[in-house]
Amino acid sequence: MMAEITYRQALHDTLREELLRDENVFLLGEEIGTFEGSYKITAGLLKEFGPKRVVDTPICENGFVGMATGAAMLGLRPIVEIMTINFIVLAMDEIVNHAAKIYYMFGGQCPIPLVIRTPGGGGQQLAATHSQNLEVWFAHVPGLKVVAPSTPADAKGMLRTAVRDNNPVIFLENLALYNTKGEVPNGDYMVPFGQAKVTKEGADLTVISYSRMSAMALDVARRLEQENKLSVEVVDVRSLRPLDRETIVNSVKKTNRAIIFEEDWRSFGVGAEIAATLQEEAFDFLDAPIKRVASVEVPLPYSKPLERAALTGAKQLMEAIDELKPRRRR
Amino acid sequence: MSEVTMPRLSDTMEEGTIARWLKHAGDEVKKGDILAEIETDKATMDLEAYEAGTLEQILVQEGETVPIGQAVAIIGSGTSGVGYLSPRQDSRLIAPATPAPAPAPTSTSAPSPSPADVGASAKLAERVSIPRPSPQRSEAERVSILRPTENQPPIAPAPTDGSGARALKVSPLARRMAEEHSIDLRQVQGTGPGGRIVRDDIEDYLVQRPPTKAPTAPAAPGPAAPPQEVPAAAPAVTAQVSTPDMEVSTLSRMQATIARRLAESKQTIPHFYVSSEVDMTDLLAMRQTFNASADEDGVKVSVNDLIVKACALALEKFPEVNSSFKDGQFVRYKYIHVGIAVDIPSGLVVPVIHDANVKGVRSIARESKVLIEKARNNKLSQADLDGGTFSVSNLGMMDVTEFIAVINPPQAAILAVASTRKRFVPTDGQPATRDLMSMTMSADHRILYGATVARFLQEVKRLLQNPYSLLG
Repeated sequence: MMAEITYRQALHDTLREELLRDENVFLLGEEIGTFEGSYKITAGLLKEFGPKRVVDTPICENGFVGMATGAAMLGLRPIVEIMTINFIVLAMDEIVNHAAKIYYMFGGQCPIPLVIRTPGGGGQQLAATHSQNLEVWFAHVPGLKVVAPSTPADAKGMLRTAVRDNNPVIFLENLALYNTKGEVPNGDYMVPFGQAKVTKEGADLTVISYSRMSAMALDVARRLEQENKLSVEVVDVRSLRPLDRETIVNSVKKTNRAIIFEEDWRSFGVGAEIAATLQEEAFDFLDAPIKRVASVEVPLPYSKPLERAALTGAKQLMEAIDELKPRRRR
Repeated sequence: MSEVTMPRLSDTMEEGTIARWLKHAGDEVKKGDILAEIETDKATMDLEAYEAGTLEQILVQEGETVPIGQAVAIIGSGTSGVGYLSPRQDSRLIAPATPAPAPAPTSTSAPSPSPADVGASAKLAERVSIPRPSPQRSEAERVSILRPTENQPPIAPAPTDGSGARALKVSPLARRMAEEHSIDLRQVQGTGPGGRIVRDDIEDYLVQRPPTKAPTAPAAPGPAAPPQEVPAAAPAVTAQVSTPDMEVSTLSRMQATIARRLAESKQTIPHFYVSSEVDMTDLLAMRQTFNASADEDGVKVSVNDLIVKACALALEKFPEVNSSFKDGQFVRYKYIHVGIAVDIPSGLVVPVIHDANVKGVRSIARESKVLIEKARNNKLSQADLDGGTFSVSNLGMMDVTEFIAVINPPQAAILAVASTRKRFVPTDGQPATRDLMSMTMSADHRILYGATVARFLQEVKRLLQNPYSLLG
């Protein structure tokens, strides 16, 4: 049995199910209780589980992320909501120097089963300080896991995995994905970390992506297939750390051409890491330089036309595909 | 602005050397001005400007060698700086985005918003209104015009990205495929960005090439299935250096080509040889009469001109000799173009007398004189060198008893002509003095057989011994 629900609903349902399943699970964050979350992911949960399981915090990210880390050390399984990834900057010390390190630095005495959920992304005219994609900062740090599902089904399966994982997990959402719909299997299924998914098979070239850009890539690829123009394979990385190098490399070994499509900035981005991996492991299979399609490296403007010009999207991907595609179809 | 690229000037040309720049950076050029002299494997040729403008930058210096298709200079309006010469970014359509190491670009060059630039929105606004450079340059922009335009094959596309890379551009995949199929990448036309050889090009090449034999058996030489690198001939060697006892010099481009092509010829073509002796007495007498009747400024016909004519007529009769073994097939040419080997300082060239079978001996004489003169002055054009279907190599003037020549691919045969010497020949039981000339034909045994070549030689001999038949 499959049901079609939104990405938002998938997250909500999973949180609720995990709260029901394990009494050590609790939520904390700004405005998640009485206000039911800025993006309504936690709607109704305060009412159902009470203020000890759904904790409204002051506007104080370093404080409550530190608190959650301490709670995780003592055996609880906190799920923190950072309203948007832009505010996570305030909690960097707690995440990078504490949550990511404690298990390693104290002889493995206490794991940190902490989940930090947070949406990234631009396009909502929220301007430069509220529209960022900072996931690479975390993907860079050993001791953290970073996942970024693009569909309701993966959101559900990966959030379950995150809650039950004994390591700190940055669970990346995206503002523009919340209302997207998709089929979600019933039952207590989990999507393991470190497994990319080929969301569409293709022969001419591979687009590697994650989160919202992955969904967009799939749309573009389907359209090109329907119009019988090109057979594009889409790999949804899903998990940035650990990264499933094998699936990515195998896809490019098949198609010989790769585009990495990412909403973050190009320099030092996810694409840089994947491109480096490809040249290390699939060099002899590359028929063209690896392309990166990313956003313009500017603080994102507020003005709608400028914002649109700065953010990457389907148009930019199409242009890159057009430049990269082989002369002949496979 | 547009790039001037190294043109493809001959079938066998893979790279060219800028012999001399006649224009310099900053010079105004008109359409048709000669920019530079290019030395190819066969000749020195002029590179013409195909559009007017300012020669903004010379990318390849004198004496440097670059593959065909590579940019050698930039012609522009003269207003641009040199900043645009930095390698273009792959994804210039998406977002230049990498901070430019150079100082602020001008408004006409690609804007590169720096992340550190807080006035980014303003920059971005500027970006939005700026038309993007087209990813595909128009054909007109790419094509250079050359002067000796006859028999020009399509010019290789694809200027490089301006980074000045000397090496052949090949994708890693294409390189691997080429290795697997023992393909000489220099024979493959690249169609990727900047002329890069990509998988499609290798696949095209494989389709055009006959089914591969064992990787160690190189394909037949020929324009379409060009000579392969012979693996055994290319071990990794350390460069020799001069010592007091010996002097080491590098081969000129022409010498390198001769070395490569003749090694390929001798290693891939099963040569066999048939010799014959010709009584030239009557021919020499006829020639003397003939030349005596020429005007003051009339051209003198040489023995070699008569031999060329004799061969051309014999080729008419034996078209199988006028042929090539190409891609496992037997190609017979319907025209007869006879090459004449010409000794020049530090090398050898084989200019061609086209349609020698239909030309009179005086025409042949006039042409060969011009060709030899051009050869000695290094002025042969590609048209002078192209299309030979048979060759004559004559060492007769050097007191040679006999010799054998190496076939000049893709031809199937070459005639080596030795000196004519006075000999006693039994005539009616009495010794008579006759002028005898020894000649030896080298032939490709894949398509020619002993009897064919012997019959051909008989015909050449018959014509030379009945010299008036050459004047028909």
